[in-house]
Amino acid sequence: MSAAQNEDTSPHTAPHSGAKTIVITGATGGVGRGIAIACGQAGWRVWIAARREKEGLEVAREVDSAGGSGRFVACDAGDEAAVADAIRRILKEDGRLDDVVHNATSGLSPVPVDFAEVSLADLQNHLDVALRAAFALAKESHAALAASCGSFLILTSEAGFEGKAKLSPYAGVKGAQRGFARALAREWGGQGIRVNALAPLAATPAMERAMEMDPELAKRVLGRNPMARLGDSVMDIGMAARFLLSDDSRYVTGHTLMVDGGSCPAV
Amino acid sequence: MPTDPILVLGSDCDAVQRLTRRLEAEFEALPELAAPETFEQWRAKTAAGEKRGRILIAPWNERPQRGELMTLDSPEWRARFEVPFLLWNFALGAAARRVADDGAVVGLIQSAAALDAPGWTPEFAVADGALSLVRSIAASEGTRGVRANLVSTPIGLVTSDVILPRPPLALFPGELEEEVAGCVRLLLSQDAKGLTGRLLSPDGGRSL
Repeated sequence: MSAAQNEDTSPHTAPHSGAKTIVITGATGGVGRGIAIACGQAGWRVWIAARREKEGLEVAREVDSAGGSGRFVACDAGDEAAVADAIRRILKEDGRLDDVVHNATSGLSPVPVDFAEVSLADLQNHLDVALRAAFALAKESHAALAASCGSFLILTSEAGFEGKAKLSPYAGVKGAQRGFARALAREWGGQGIRVNALAPLAATPAMERAMEMDPELAKRVLGRNPMARLGDSVMDIGMAARFLLSDDSRYVTGHTLMVDGGSCPAV
Repeated sequence: MPTDPILVLGSDCDAVQRLTRRLEAEFEALPELAAPETFEQWRAKTAAGEKRGRILIAPWNERPQRGELMTLDSPEWRARFEVPFLLWNFALGAAARRVADDGAVVGLIQSAAALDAPGWTPEFAVADGALSLVRSIAASEGTRGVRANLVSTPIGLVTSDVILPRPPLALFPGELEEEVAGCVRLLLSQDAKGLTGRLLSPDGGRSL
């Protein structure tokens, strides 16, 4: 194939013009907030889809201050109908949706549990927030993403590669999210929609609290990290996520990008 | 070194029965997928059984239904992803408790290579999730010498008629009683005593 034959003329790869409209689930703090602010710095319209309105509105204001346009939409990611309603509201108000970021995770994620004793109810909660929400987001946003040649990004974890001795439900759903993204990328690629995952290691309030409670955790987490620090949720994680949402990565799909300072040895 | 017969915790179907015979193993049935409310009770009962040195987890779907994600409704998503993945959690939980010190656990999962992913998104999610669960057992039980690994096969999901390029080996997708049984036997043997948390895909090189 000549260079001329390989020129980009596909309607599915048209670059975006102007500001994007994106939605991020669970973005009231931590990594989700970092992604929201990084995207705000690009001038994008960022919908914070979360349960906690007060915190969500605060992040929306931070997006405004960063140069974007922040909005809040109530959304319990563990409730399939609420996820669908949130996407419908965004589409009704803005008439478009360029990117979806699924960041929300079960409140049970950091709770240690013996593999042989985890309850059906707790496992179902993990599945609802991590995967059923991803399914609902994909179903509701598909047409809009196809129209905008958009992208779908799932926040997974190094736990999804290497497992976790005391956090097996969390590790399991994070691994499942990777499989979901890998396969969906191949189903949606022909429509110009990209699907990727990102595995962050960030200095979030939750991580800092956990390290205060367990000093050995800090040794374990940082001891194997060649950069010897946690990632900044805006400058390290947010910027990497923005890359995966932007046209700079328009030929990248089906990947899990590790943004962990080289920490995870399983890759 | 465990020398007792392999214990298969598997679906009560012809494919798993054939594999069980090939491995000269003993068989205990997994709970029915139609009744996830029984999974906790099954795990408690199974975990309390006699300790075993070699355990194979083998859920099997003899009639998998291909369909792209956008064609699925919520009940179909639950049937193809949630319930099978819940079963993996409970089956591996039972195995983690029941396997003897210095023993080995192997999971057998139906999953296609990335090239053959379209139409199998729920099954891909189950497979990558199961690998993380197996690695969680490898981490939690490794301190008492227990190994945990996963074998993946496309049998039942794809045929030899696939998009190009063809897999390097003509045997693709493989046979349960041949290549798959061989990988299971290897991982449960002392020849693999240094392997844990690994995925083997006896698919003729399709998942390179």
